[in-house]
Amino acid sequence: MAFGVLGDVNLQRLFRPERIAVVGASATEGKLGYEAMANAVEFDGDVYPVNPSGEGEVFGEPFVESVTDIEATVDLALLAVPAHIVPDVVEECGEAGVGGAVIYAGGFAEAGDDGEELQEAVIAAADEHDVALLGPNTSGFVAPASNLLASFAGGVERLRTGGVTILAQSGGVAHQLAFSAHREGRGIATMVGLGNRANVGFEEAIPYFDSDPNTDAIVLHVEGTDDGRALLEACRESDTPVVAYKVGQADVGDFAESHTGALTGDHALYTAGFAQYGVPTVESTTELFDSGQALANSPEPDGANVGVVTAQAGPGIITADRLQRAGATLPALAEDTQDTVGGILPGITYAENPVDTGRPMPEFGDVVEAVAEDDNVDVVLVYELFEEALGFPQETLDGLAERVDKPVLFTTEGPTESMADDLAALRDADVPVFTSPERGADAAAVLARYATLDDAAADEEVSADA
Amino acid sequence: MPEDPIAAAQADGRATLTEAEAKSLLADAGIETPAFSVAADADAAVEAAEDIGLPVVVKVSSPSVTHKSEWAEGAGVAVGLDSAEAVREAAEAIFEAADARGIDADVLVEEARNVDAGTEVIVGGLRDPSFGPVVLTGLGGIFTEVYEDTSHRIAPIDEAEAREAIEELTAIELLEGYRGREPADVDALAAVVAAVGDLVAEHEAISEVDVNPVLATEGGAVALDALVVLGGDA
Repeated sequence: MAFGVLGDVNLQRLFRPERIAVVGASATEGKLGYEAMANAVEFDGDVYPVNPSGEGEVFGEPFVESVTDIEATVDLALLAVPAHIVPDVVEECGEAGVGGAVIYAGGFAEAGDDGEELQEAVIAAADEHDVALLGPNTSGFVAPASNLLASFAGGVERLRTGGVTILAQSGGVAHQLAFSAHREGRGIATMVGLGNRANVGFEEAIPYFDSDPNTDAIVLHVEGTDDGRALLEACRESDTPVVAYKVGQADVGDFAESHTGALTGDHALYTAGFAQYGVPTVESTTELFDSGQALANSPEPDGANVGVVTAQAGPGIITADRLQRAGATLPALAEDTQDTVGGILPGITYAENPVDTGRPMPEFGDVVEAVAEDDNVDVVLVYELFEEALGFPQETLDGLAERVDKPVLFTTEGPTESMADDLAALRDADVPVFTSPERGADAAAVLARYATLDDAAADEEVSADA
Repeated sequence: MPEDPIAAAQADGRATLTEAEAKSLLADAGIETPAFSVAADADAAVEAAEDIGLPVVVKVSSPSVTHKSEWAEGAGVAVGLDSAEAVREAAEAIFEAADARGIDADVLVEEARNVDAGTEVIVGGLRDPSFGPVVLTGLGGIFTEVYEDTSHRIAPIDEAEAREAIEELTAIELLEGYRGREPADVDALAAVVAAVGDLVAEHEAISEVDVNPVLATEGGAVALDALVVLGGDA
């Protein structure tokens, strides 16, 4: 931990500020200081534009000359200033009692020896005053719940609230994940691009968001970090579920270094280490957010046994195949369950696991419920094409996961326009929804692996303590 | 043999331990090695061979020689020596080759093990800049780099975790008794994996340990060759 005793307080002031300043704020459209200010003014708390050459107002807020001129104590400063003056600005922020700063500029550790030196100077200034730094070389962060748009990217004001916190090494990937979630009607708790991780890295951010009441799952995008062991230990300590996407299996060393200033670590060590420390890993941004969404909106799974209910055989076969290849198991259903299902659907196509009803039908929800109540099943995965006349088994799914205390995931497809309202209703009921058999199966498999790995990691921790 | 092979190597300014030093380090860590002895001349080599019991293996033992089997046109390693005469010849060949190359060398006389009686496994440890001590296990012998059948763990680990690492290998089928072969003692192998992880975790001076091969048999897991590399800043 790079901080002294003020560390946790200043992470809180960085990510959950009451007052923010935009240093380098500008009234000139197209400038970084303008874009940053345009987003910052959406914030529910106070916002101060800072610029010694600024005159009058910008977005209705009067310019101040320096952060030290602001009477109230600013928690967070957004630094829309060129790289070479960042050390002085951070020093000034420190003197003014600012708790955290976001450094958007690039040209630091990712850009050779001179940049490295500049970053050292920034860290020295920050350490002296216990300022928590996000970046440099980041597009910032967004917390929709308080309209805190500490990113200069356009469109982030549209992001909705949800339970997943994104911690991405790259700001670009953070935005990719957040916008793709948004397109599917999902929200986020916080989206963070860590950038060069001057003094807030994965090992600082993970414990902070683990204790954040709005965060129900943490998804990590990792290119490479100097202290892989600290990252793993932070993951193991986290009570909030963590999923990781480690990039760089092929040799992308040169690109990654110029991009983030980190040497891409050894992929085998990351993969083995994440598994050893209880973190399931995934292979795409889609799978990363899907599994985060499933973990955030589900009770913790007890094991890797997945019960599959499908209204169509083909997608059910894809689902079952993919689940098993990805580390999940498909247990036989209890005899009671088979009797119940047989009673609901005499002459049912296949009443073991997957249960295949052959077509959507009014009783589909009852079948889902019977499988969900089966003690052999740890995770329920449903596939049903949308049929306008029937809609989704909304009444069954609403609250089912909580009642049976296990994850219930729903996978479907249909014409976008016709199923939009019904899909929104499912999402409002916090049902994790997916739109292809592969995506549903991958998310369920991550839940299964999470249950298995989490147990193993907990056991190891106990034996290490003994 | 000095009490602390790491300190001895450091005192000499060496970055690698000799095989004998490496094996005594492994033996101290509870890893089984063949019986061995270091001899400074051919007479001592013969005497050592008779103490250990024939057949034996004779290898060059010198800080100047890392790749023993390629050294001096193959004179560096002689296997299957089943008479005093054969031991003497092999030892003399090594001393002559060392003289010709102007290096100081001893010979390592070691109990011969039949590698066909088991599966050759690699067990390695290293200090990674980002993860610190890590340990790996994999299919050993000449195919190590062809199949890259390896499994990694962040060290230290207990024997249960080591066993899981071994079970992730494709080679687990060989270890469990493929096509009627005797199954190997996987628990003994797991103990070696855990011990190598502990070695790297406990000795800051070690940057790399390469135990290749470990011979895994029904009766246990024996370190047949070992290389220990020390870090520059230890």
